[in-house]
Amino acid sequence: MRRYLVLRALQALGVVAFITTLSFMVVHLAPGDPIGSSLQGPNVTEAIRQHWRAEYGLDRPVSEQYVRWVRLVAHGDLGFSFSQRRPVRDVFADAIPRTLLLSGMALLLSFAFGIAVGVLQAEQPNGSRDRWLGRVLLLLYSVPDFWLALMVLLLFSLRLRLFPPGGLHDAVLYDYMTPPQQLLDSLKHLVLPVLTLTVLSSAVVARHQRGELVSVLSSDWMRTALAKGLSWRAAVRRHAFRNALLPTITIFFANIAVFASGSIFVEKVFSWPGMGYVTVTAVAARDYPLVTAGVLFMSVIVVTGALVADLVMAAADPRIRLR
Amino acid sequence: MPAIGVRHRLLRDRRVWIGLGVLAFMAVAALTAPLIAPYKPDAQLDIVQLAGQAPSSAHWLGTDPFGRDVLSRMLFGSRVSLTIALAAVAMAMTFGTLVGVIAGYFGGPVDSVLMRLVDAAFSIPPLLYIIVVAALWGDVGIVALTLLIASVAWFGVSRLVRAKALTVRDADFVMAARALGMSSWRIVTRHVLPNVVGPAIVTSTLAIGNVILLEAGLSYLGIGVRPPQASWGSIIQDGAERMSDQWWLTLFPGLAILVTAFACNALGDALRDALDPRQLQPLRDDDTPLITA
Amino acid sequence: MPRSHCLSLRHVKRLMPFVIVIAVLACKGTDTASNGGPGNFGGTIVIATPSDAATLLPPLMSSITDHEVTDLLYDRLADIGADLNTVGDKGFTPVLAERWEWSADSLSIAFHINPHAKWHDGQPVRANDVKFSVNLIKDPALGSQAQPLITNIDSISVRDSLTAVAYFKKRVPDQFYDLVYQVSILPEHILANTPVAQLKTAEVGRRGIGSGRFRLAKWEAGARLELVADTLNYRGRPKLDRVVFSIAPDFNAAVTRFFAGDADLFENLRAEQVTRLNGDTARRAVRLPSLGYNYLAMNAIDPASPGHPHPVLGERAVRRALAMAVDRRAMLKNVFDTIASVAYGPFPHSMPVASDTTLPQIPYDTTKAKALLDSAGWLAGPDGIRAKNGRRLEFAVTSPSSSSARHKYAVLLQDAFRRVGASVKLDESDFPSYLAKITSHNFDAEMESFNTDPSVSGFKQSWTTAGIGSEGTNHTSYTNPTVDALFDSATTAFDPARKKAYARRAFETIMDDAAGIWLYETPTIAGISKRIHTTPFRADAYFADLANWWIPANERNARDKIGLRPTP
Repeated sequence: MRRYLVLRALQALGVVAFITTLSFMVVHLAPGDPIGSSLQGPNVTEAIRQHWRAEYGLDRPVSEQYVRWVRLVAHGDLGFSFSQRRPVRDVFADAIPRTLLLSGMALLLSFAFGIAVGVLQAEQPNGSRDRWLGRVLLLLYSVPDFWLALMVLLLFSLRLRLFPPGGLHDAVLYDYMTPPQQLLDSLKHLVLPVLTLTVLSSAVVARHQRGELVSVLSSDWMRTALAKGLSWRAAVRRHAFRNALLPTITIFFANIAVFASGSIFVEKVFSWPGMGYVTVTAVAARDYPLVTAGVLFMSVIVVTGALVADLVMAAADPRIRLR
Repeated sequence: MPAIGVRHRLLRDRRVWIGLGVLAFMAVAALTAPLIAPYKPDAQLDIVQLAGQAPSSAHWLGTDPFGRDVLSRMLFGSRVSLTIALAAVAMAMTFGTLVGVIAGYFGGPVDSVLMRLVDAAFSIPPLLYIIVVAALWGDVGIVALTLLIASVAWFGVSRLVRAKALTVRDADFVMAARALGMSSWRIVTRHVLPNVVGPAIVTSTLAIGNVILLEAGLSYLGIGVRPPQASWGSIIQDGAERMSDQWWLTLFPGLAILVTAFACNALGDALRDALDPRQLQPLRDDDTPLITA
Repeated sequence: MPRSHCLSLRHVKRLMPFVIVIAVLACKGTDTASNGGPGNFGGTIVIATPSDAATLLPPLMSSITDHEVTDLLYDRLADIGADLNTVGDKGFTPVLAERWEWSADSLSIAFHINPHAKWHDGQPVRANDVKFSVNLIKDPALGSQAQPLITNIDSISVRDSLTAVAYFKKRVPDQFYDLVYQVSILPEHILANTPVAQLKTAEVGRRGIGSGRFRLAKWEAGARLELVADTLNYRGRPKLDRVVFSIAPDFNAAVTRFFAGDADLFENLRAEQVTRLNGDTARRAVRLPSLGYNYLAMNAIDPASPGHPHPVLGERAVRRALAMAVDRRAMLKNVFDTIASVAYGPFPHSMPVASDTTLPQIPYDTTKAKALLDSAGWLAGPDGIRAKNGRRLEFAVTSPSSSSARHKYAVLLQDAFRRVGASVKLDESDFPSYLAKITSHNFDAEMESFNTDPSVSGFKQSWTTAGIGSEGTNHTSYTNPTVDALFDSATTAFDPARKKAYARRAFETIMDDAAGIWLYETPTIAGISKRIHTTPFRADAYFADLANWWIPANERNARDKIGLRPTP
């Protein structure tokens, strides 16, 4: 087990290194000049732009920039954001908790919801309830994520005015509220993005959960147990559930990229200044260090997700280690 | 696998008919767009009087801010959206199957190298990757976008195909063929490919739905088609600024995307169930969304 | 990136606004008569903005948000008057300098610092700070964009702790303006310990310690920037308690905040949003003065082989025919409804030197356009696109994806040109790439948006041979010796009438050459909450007098009542 763990972790590191290099090159070899966005106007001479390029090392060969960057990253320094004019580390320190909050809540809810639906479906595979729920799930699974976010915003915020249109919390009053008011205000701002993200991912969870449950319930040992008079409820609760939940969680983590992509659109539409939003904004500003670090971060998340999924599977099923 | 059983199951499955029906409708609409579209899709009919008009008898789905007929744009847009999806998936399937078969059949170091590559590719967040490339590398047209999408869509297939090829490789009939001195090329084409084609088709059908969603999202971000051309996502983008008062620009193309993706996914599910009846649940890998949209 | 989502750059104006000689457009709804006395302090204004500030150091500012925030935090030696006169010191009002004296030869000016002036940290403002501020901008290691604007300042000497003497290299009409307008005074004791080259990244650059009537309370990057009244300010505390910049990720989100009531001011509304304000009881629309004009700039030179004329747009007949193909009024109506006006030529018509609206225009006439192209040898091919000697009438229009208006115009132009047989490819890219293309003359045609320098010399940068280099803004490499000569004469003329006559002839020549298609004058219509009672807007910076805006006690809402409580 330890050997597998070490190998798998090394491999994950390799993957991160590969993606990092790739993203660094994709960003830095792109045509165009990152200096300029903040330095336009006829009063800016070429000499000034050149000065700034030199300041950020952009006038050096890409290979040299790469080596410098890797060295910095190895020391935990992600560089300096051109567009925000502060260290990328600070930008991330603000954005990561926000993304974790939004995604974490959406994840919890979508697992709760998705698993409940999955169990309802698996009770009678291919029964009418299963089929109808399946269709609804498939429909939700087919909704364009950005479109759903737009529609939710349009309906619940712009039309019905039930919830604020976006942002973390009230732009002004938040800091002056009492803690319970603050909590309420934050929750109000969380509702729509969390709702959207939950709808999007609970469809995925439910589809997996139903499948896993059906497969466990149709296994020989379970059939035997049921034949021996174990009630369906008890079977699900005591055996099937546990056996089906693990693979569902695993599959979900293995595909965390799906979730990450969905959250990019949701963050964008609801002005939620998390990682997805920060990175997409940085792309528009050609903020090379921030874009590169953003892609690095996303990749690390995805790789970690896959790693966790594999380790969980390995812990659960010793045969996998032999693979 | 008994082909008759599969056909029978498919014919009985309502999802197949719904999926095929919708896709056939979309395909006919796309193919006959020049005949049935009431207006030219990029004609700015009247930029003052007809800009952003709500649905009416003359313009069933309204007009966009440039005074163009939304129905006509959606009909022509379906050509772009569907072509990108089909082309990207076709490319991804071909390449993915190739890699999967090679890795699975030959195994050993070839397999290790290829699969590590696939692992790495899996870890790239596809949406972010395409946004970064498209935004920084500038003028990304339809062809480039298709290639970009294909480049993030192939590895799911190859992983799946490899797994299948691996089992086929050790099957008795392949052993026998090898013992009889059949060349690797013939074994692959005669025995391995036919056996991996089923899962590959299931995956591609599901992938088309996902790619349609991805393309729409990217067009919505302004990546892909260039004006005056339209795709479903770009129509939404043209209307995004006016979403609150010109809802038809967001609603109708969104529904078209939703219905098409739904049809592909329904068909994909049905195919999967039919091809692998023992497994009522999705195969682990082929239900993995290939693309995150 | 979606164009509708990165509009912030569109609003990035020219850094240092220019000599502006127009009358300030007074604003309805301002009244100073009922402007309450000392007891009327209080209230919060929330300004929705699509872009965060990038820096709080005035010499490094690059966006409109930077400009707004730094102007509220820092003071200049003197403020430009409402008429924006830049010659001599007429109209300038004392700020940090309570008075000043010119030397007999006008080559030096002694500024006497207000002895009550204090930095937000309590330290007094000293003459050394003036010297430090000027030297900082002049230091190439800082890379300030104001550097080229103050080259006429030779040096600052400190006569005593409260007297700074500025020495100039030459006697020029704008020398006083150059110093006081371009240089915000910075605290030496805060900034001097950091090496200049590191200032742009250093933490001290984000502290915003100035001497302005508002002080920085909190900067939550990407979300909110909060200023609070400096109650002990030497110029008196501002009427408002608080100014909050509410930072939205994009244009649409910022507008949404304004309409949802979460913000009191949004600087740049679109036509449909202005319409929405009709009958709004809580909000009103206000036209802010602007000196922007927008046109399709057509490259005279072939970007593929520099030195040779552009194969399509280098031809005057083609440019004129294209101009005839464009229904500028219809396009204006489509994009701006009634909030903007068609540009008369390469200038905003509100500028005195160019206020002429009678210059001959190229009329919209597609029949004539086609005939002109036919007679020039550009004949329609089977697909309707014209060609001449095997060269198709085809070119690209380059525009920044960040600008919604320019995107719309590009799409409209594409269709208009197609109708007369010209094929246009739209080349949209993010702002930095767009800028790189136009400054390197690497485009066929581009959607130029220019916030002009209204002195005649500004036009020389855009339209004379001298402006073609990297320091100028003549992106199309437009060259006409007549225009060069006319602008030279206009610059050196002292008599306003003659100045204007020369400029008029220059504009007439440019327009007759159809060097561009003059599309629209940039509208800036702000939405403001009716609670906020404003004072007249200064043309170069609507926020210049924000410290005197006020909210009557009976109109205050929950956020107005926060008071001066310290910001958590």
